[in-house]
Amino acid sequence: MASLGQFCLLAGFVVAAYAAAISVAGARRGSRRLIESGIGALYLTAALMTVASGVIIYAFVAQDFSIKYVQHTSDSVQPLFYKITSYWGGLDGSILFWVFLLSIFGATAVWINRERHRELIPYVVAVISVVEMFFLFLMIIHRNPFSTFLTDAPTEGRGLSPLLQNPYMVIHPPSLYTGFVGMTIPYAFGMAALITGHLDDSWLRAVRRWTMIGWLFLTFGLTLGMIWAYEELGWGGFWAWDPVENAGLLPWFTSTAFLHSVLVQERRSMLRVWNVALVIVTFFLTIFGTFMTRSGVVQSVHSFGEDRALAMMFTIFMIATLVFSFSLVVYRLPLLRSRHELDSWVSREAAFLANNWILLFAALFVLFATMFPTLSEAVTGERLTVGPPFFNRWMAPIGLALLFLTGIAPLMAWRKSTVANLREQFTWPVVTGVVTGVVLAAMGVRVWVSGLCFVLCAFVTATIVQEFVRGARVRQEGTGTDLLTAIVGLVGRSKRRYGGYIVHVGIVLAFLGFAGGGFKQEEQLLLKPGQQGTVGRFTVRLDSVQVTDDGQKQMITGHLTVFDGGKDTGHMYPAKWFFRRHEEEPTTEVAIRRGASEDLYIVMPAFDLKDQSASLHIVINPLVDWIWIGFGVMALGTGIALLPERVVSFAAAKLPAGAVPSAPIVLLIVLLLSGVVHAQHTESGQAVPIVSRSPLEREMQRSIICMCGTCGRQLLSECQCSRAVDMRAELSRLVNDDHKTREQIVQYYLAKYGSQEPLASPIDTGFNRLAWAVPYVLGAGGLVGVGLVAVRWSRRSGSNHESEPVQPTTLDPADRDIEARLDDELSDLD
Amino acid sequence: MSAKVIRIGLTACVLVLAFGGLLWSTLRDGTEYYKHVDEVMTRPDAWYGRKLQLHGYVVPASILRRPNTLDYRFQVQSKDKIVSAAYTGIVPDTFKDDAEVVLKGTLSPSGFEVEPNGVMAKCPSKYEAKPGSVASAKPPGA
Repeated sequence: MASLGQFCLLAGFVVAAYAAAISVAGARRGSRRLIESGIGALYLTAALMTVASGVIIYAFVAQDFSIKYVQHTSDSVQPLFYKITSYWGGLDGSILFWVFLLSIFGATAVWINRERHRELIPYVVAVISVVEMFFLFLMIIHRNPFSTFLTDAPTEGRGLSPLLQNPYMVIHPPSLYTGFVGMTIPYAFGMAALITGHLDDSWLRAVRRWTMIGWLFLTFGLTLGMIWAYEELGWGGFWAWDPVENAGLLPWFTSTAFLHSVLVQERRSMLRVWNVALVIVTFFLTIFGTFMTRSGVVQSVHSFGEDRALAMMFTIFMIATLVFSFSLVVYRLPLLRSRHELDSWVSREAAFLANNWILLFAALFVLFATMFPTLSEAVTGERLTVGPPFFNRWMAPIGLALLFLTGIAPLMAWRKSTVANLREQFTWPVVTGVVTGVVLAAMGVRVWVSGLCFVLCAFVTATIVQEFVRGARVRQEGTGTDLLTAIVGLVGRSKRRYGGYIVHVGIVLAFLGFAGGGFKQEEQLLLKPGQQGTVGRFTVRLDSVQVTDDGQKQMITGHLTVFDGGKDTGHMYPAKWFFRRHEEEPTTEVAIRRGASEDLYIVMPAFDLKDQSASLHIVINPLVDWIWIGFGVMALGTGIALLPERVVSFAAAKLPAGAVPSAPIVLLIVLLLSGVVHAQHTESGQAVPIVSRSPLEREMQRSIICMCGTCGRQLLSECQCSRAVDMRAELSRLVNDDHKTREQIVQYYLAKYGSQEPLASPIDTGFNRLAWAVPYVLGAGGLVGVGLVAVRWSRRSGSNHESEPVQPTTLDPADRDIEARLDDELSDLD
Repeated sequence: MSAKVIRIGLTACVLVLAFGGLLWSTLRDGTEYYKHVDEVMTRPDAWYGRKLQLHGYVVPASILRRPNTLDYRFQVQSKDKIVSAAYTGIVPDTFKDDAEVVLKGTLSPSGFEVEPNGVMAKCPSKYEAKPGSVASAKPPGA
């Protein structure tokens, strides 16, 4: 099985290289056949990756523990569902999964656009293939998911951590990946447009939809991550500005910016350089996010696998991408000149521009703060860290500014808003906002950030409602139907515009949830049976601490009675579960009572069975559920904006008023269902914890392998045979008792075994450095080779078939006038 | 044209200066030094009163808890340097003898004062980093 997988990877690499070379050649020679061949090769890569995925899933299901990756991330007692999803549970498999998704996405995008954007396709194929080649290269050379144990394969796997065996964790990574991968498609089209010089707005049209899909999945993935953290980790919050979380957030900011600025380019032909740059930066950030998560560059309390070689390869790829992309931009600058100047700062394009700047600033800020520990260590030698309060202090105003723009931008006119239409558009929303503010002040809301956020939410909601009502009125007059039908018709007619508004409603709801965080109350209590404690308006009484056992685990459950303002409102049961063979790692079962106005969130982190006492962490999270609901609404809006024209006209013709498109509903149901499903835990056989006393000891355990000769060169920190136990004891003695340095220990092992065999990686000097360089040289050489072949093939026909130089579409002044007028006329039709 | 360039340049300058200043001022009280116990305890008086994230290993059998309260006293070591710490609140499951911990708080002559929710313990078992997810037991509390 493993060899079949290996073969797929190798073949995939070769075919992708062929696709890249032949497409470029075909484009330059203008040969239809070569281009077709390149497209075929791209499809073939997708097929090969599908086979490879099939192989690895089969290996998981068939429990083929001779494959290291399978042994690493699954075990025989796992339910089938988690066996399959172990596919993306670890580093190696997740890279394979990434390439698989990319190849599928790429093939689909090319298939859909092969006729419409014929001139771009060959370069799109080439760019996608090169990205695939990079990840395939990573796997083949460094992180092969199909590598096997050379000798005695273990008979049992190590299993996924129980924390990760949870429905959210199953959907969350693939969703985030799909978002990341989705951003490669716009990048490929952008690059193709730059290379060919077809920089009119047609490439944007091909790309918009893909960016929306990517954006939707990215948002979905981030939301699932938040829900998981909230329900599973039991610390009362959902976002901690952890580097891993931030990695997913960065491309979200830039892709959101792109989705807005693309409108400006379509309508006004401005911001052309900016758009290309955003597409590049978004793609870069997806790669950077992957790099940050996998390479261990940014340290945090989370255990990342540190992997220098991987970091190196990623760095090279990222630098190459940046240099290549931005040189192309510079080269094409003359074609990218904008056709209009900003007419006025009181216009929709100016508001969009401001929104873009803020989003980009947010991305830069998060990037800066995430990298700050690494940066400060590099610059001053002191490791300085910044915590969530620092992020919050900056992100709160940024978020509020964005929310404000969400309200005003859609109401501004293109080109220039006059005082009259400002007054017409903003009277009601401003009144609504002010009234809300006054009411809140009267009610005694004193957290000013949250208060301001509520006011802005009211303001934005009023602008959106106003848009819907006005649009529907106009339509009602035109068609003579009732209001509801008019609204449905309205949404159907300009899906993107009204879909966008619905997304904005979702944003408002999410912001309500964020603002609720300002009123969060928490308390840590130690209670004995019969005692009670009060948090906010809730009083919690501990009745008893009970022990039950269901054969798989022992459950310690706190029985609580909750009083809401003195009234008995039932029981809650926070618990702690101790799985068999896994007692060292109890899981925390949070008890959450959900409500529209607030969640009561109770954790029982510690207990004492002797005197029946329990420590309780009680949190009141106001409005938090609105974040998840907000996401549902966003998904609905994006779905509407994404619907193809045909579906809408069909639905409008066949279905009665009020029928809502089904795709987003499905997404919504998925989300709600996942909210209902309770976190599920299964037992997994995990290694006995190997405690190391000092960082050096840990480091050495990871750089020396077990020398028993039967467990297939496993690291000392991972091997479980008796020889490894002895070796660890020996190492511990060297480090802790003899106080040897790293070099001395390495020398000790070299002397003891007479070769470099016990070292996990060759010593980084002299000849050995060459050994390190070989993969890079090979990789770079191969790339250069592919390029040379492409150039050579395309040159052969250069003499008889000169490709036509591309004419930038230019307009004479009269046309420009007409275009400007057209803009105004069309501004109401979107 | 040149007037426009000057205008844009000036605006950019003002913005950059303003943001730089803000960043600087917030960074000054937002940052914490990330140090190992031995780095700090070689010259403890230099660190008194400063915000620290202290990295070390819990000294075996040093965790004491006052009965019927959430007050903890324990010792943390690295490379033979030891500091005693005090904390009130709930500790993570993984907080036990020999656990690798990061403590947030301030150092004083009487020991290390851990701020609320300031105890983070690394898991002894090995997790694979999951894409875009939090892969350990307790992320820092917000």
